[in-house]
Amino acid sequence: MDQFVGQILPYITVAIFLGGITWRIWRWMIPRIVHNITLAPFPSSWFTAIVLMLWQALSFWNLLKFDRPLWVGAWPMHIALLNIVGGHVVGFYTLGLQFHIIAPLIITEHMSEVASDFLGTFFGLVFLAALLYLLYRRFAVEKVKAVSSASDYLHLVLLIAIAALGNYMRLVPEVHMTYAEVREFLAGLFLFSPEPLPENVLFVWKFFLVQVLMIVFPFSKLMHAFGFFWERWIVNRPYKEAPLGLPNAKLQIQK
Amino acid sequence: MPTLDVGGGKVIELDEDGFMVDPNEWTPECAVALAKTEGVEELTDTHWKIINYLRDYYQKNGIAPMIRKLCKDTGIKLKEVYELFPSGPAKGACKLAGLPKPTGCV
Amino acid sequence: MSEARKPQLVSDPHNLWKGSTGLRQAKRAKAELFQTLGVRVVPDDQKVEMAIKYLDKYRKEVRSFVMAMESCVKCGLCAENCHTYLGTGDPNNIPANRADLIRKVYKRYFTVQGRLFGSLVGAEDLTLDMLEKWYSYFYQCSECRRCGHVCPFGIDTCEVTFVGRQILFNLGIAPQLHTATGKAILETGNHMGLTKPGIEDTLEFLTEEIEEQYGWPIEFPVDKPDSDILYVPSSADFMLNPDTLKGAARFFQYVGANWTISSKIAEAGNFGYLSDQNRVQKELVNRAISEAVKLGCKKIVWGECGHGWRAAKMYIPTKSDYPDVDRIPITHIHDEVVEYIKAGALKLDKGRNPFSVTLHDPCNYVRACGLCDNMRIIMNAVVEDFREMHPCREQNFCCGGGSGILFDDPDMYQFRIEASLKKAEQIRATGAQVLCAPCSICKAQFYPMVKEHKLGVQVKGLIDLVGRALVFPDDQFEDDMEL
Repeated sequence: MDQFVGQILPYITVAIFLGGITWRIWRWMIPRIVHNITLAPFPSSWFTAIVLMLWQALSFWNLLKFDRPLWVGAWPMHIALLNIVGGHVVGFYTLGLQFHIIAPLIITEHMSEVASDFLGTFFGLVFLAALLYLLYRRFAVEKVKAVSSASDYLHLVLLIAIAALGNYMRLVPEVHMTYAEVREFLAGLFLFSPEPLPENVLFVWKFFLVQVLMIVFPFSKLMHAFGFFWERWIVNRPYKEAPLGLPNAKLQIQK
Repeated sequence: MPTLDVGGGKVIELDEDGFMVDPNEWTPECAVALAKTEGVEELTDTHWKIINYLRDYYQKNGIAPMIRKLCKDTGIKLKEVYELFPSGPAKGACKLAGLPKPTGCV
Repeated sequence: MSEARKPQLVSDPHNLWKGSTGLRQAKRAKAELFQTLGVRVVPDDQKVEMAIKYLDKYRKEVRSFVMAMESCVKCGLCAENCHTYLGTGDPNNIPANRADLIRKVYKRYFTVQGRLFGSLVGAEDLTLDMLEKWYSYFYQCSECRRCGHVCPFGIDTCEVTFVGRQILFNLGIAPQLHTATGKAILETGNHMGLTKPGIEDTLEFLTEEIEEQYGWPIEFPVDKPDSDILYVPSSADFMLNPDTLKGAARFFQYVGANWTISSKIAEAGNFGYLSDQNRVQKELVNRAISEAVKLGCKKIVWGECGHGWRAAKMYIPTKSDYPDVDRIPITHIHDEVVEYIKAGALKLDKGRNPFSVTLHDPCNYVRACGLCDNMRIIMNAVVEDFREMHPCREQNFCCGGGSGILFDDPDMYQFRIEASLKKAEQIRATGAQVLCAPCSICKAQFYPMVKEHKLGVQVKGLIDLVGRALVFPDDQFEDDMEL
């Protein structure tokens, strides 16, 4: 079983993940944007439209403005997630020395490891807390409950399980894994000569659940990460106004 | 299609909203019978003034008149029109006068 | 209205749907009426199959619909931003849930997760019952796009309502009001079935009215050849809103425009856009351009109508069959007035509008057509006491009648009262004497609703107020307004 989860499944997972995303986006591209249905106030150019889109994506502006209690959970959760994903990539690749590599003269190797540990722990806890809060909302806030279906809860539970395992391994010394151990295992996968899974049940479970998440991703609402841009591409686009002025009217405006 | 017995052996066809299907079939008896469906018990002279005005206007122009014109030409205030025809000039009064139900933003 | 039926806003989110369990549905059109629109009503045993076919067709054609199906994360933000939900408390009126009525079916037939995991992801088979729900809820949505405006993804639920209504229309399910209006559109080119003699008689009457009010008459040209401007008024103006037509005439007269109204397209609105975006909507789209060409017009100026202006501004360029569509600019009368105000070219007397006025922002003007600022420029130039309601501008709530859900059967009329609760609350808070609602649907909704909610305000258009404030040298202004 460990061999399947650790050495075979990962390749299937990545294939489904990338293939699934491509397939789903391809399907979005078949229908056309038939009419200009941009929301007012219209951006004056594509540049402004894209700035507006990015601003919405980074700040979750509409949530902040129209539903503060939701923003309090959703924004930190996504920011933490972004940092966690990024942290996993650079943290394992550089063994926690990423900050030292960026500024070798100012930041020592040790300082970088401490910073990496601290940020990982911090965002891990923020991520978990925000997810629990969002799950609580699905149960407790009537309007959110009214729009939820089973999968909405399950996505949160899956993320919570992954986050909880990650935090647990980071904070409890007995089950802690070093960057080097993980890197060795991952490097094997990337170089197509898979190593056996580290002997840590929690790690195996976490590794498995992350793969479940990646398999589910292209076939679920988690695709909103891409959907956001495809949707806003339709509703935040520039519009060119027709020229004003009444032809041949006696009273003309000098321009 | 629903129908309405207007008395004297005459039966008129109504549409789903209770308006006459064929405005040309209208007779004063129709107004009396239709009034009951609108909750108007008795047709007074003022009722008839409005109904006859609407009939004339419709026959001449093929549409119902602008409400302000109706009020001005008959000398009846809009508020009174609503008292006489509870569902208003566009719906209540037109129905009794055998005009088709107004469509669009009314 | 009895006290027991008096609705309340969902101020407490726990105070959910306590209404009747029956579906609220507007009276629907009969097969004979559909036939006049070239649609054969699909028999019940084929409805489901056909509906899925149409759904498949639109998902391959309309990306805005597909993205609305694919992007929602069910965050619940839209709930309290929808006046329909606030007024009725019906959870199916939460925009995310309303869209879900189609999304469930879409998932079931067109997604991997829906085919494999069904109920887990909220996928459902399409049934006749579901179609009945579509008919109920897509005609409770007023297509105001407030949910699209607040949605973190910009999901435009209006696009879902469009598709829902279009599929229903294709099957032969639509309200009597929309279908009968569609028939009038095909026959006369306007919603109310106005005839040329009727139009001319009404305008002659308005010429007299202007003479009484200002001391001198203004003629309304109809079907005048070699005109420069084609003015497209709302047909409801001919029955209900005389001051809107008068205001437009005074403006065109003031600037000395060579303008005309066409009896073939005396309609700024487009009920086709609200129920059948194919044949019926196109009829008016094509009439606008072909009439402008016929009368030699170099420009089309649109009158006061919310959804109609959106349908004209955003849809005529992509829907018209005539090549001249690219050569005839179409603008809104408000925008034209603002150009003159900005240039200081109009003499306006605020004193002729001495009352307190609040502005109801028509949804389509502010969220779809960018008229926010211009309406305020006009307002501040023509009235003495302008009061904003809150929220306003792009965040304004709908009047409750948007997308032509002006039904008068008792159940739906009650719905209109509920859907306008939020609006009534906003208007009351301003304490204004006049409610400016520059859209024919808003006006038609407000005339009865100000009575139902005992608001005690007069309903006016914006051009109405411009017409009053414009000062001509010959004017002997006599106010005909009773507050």
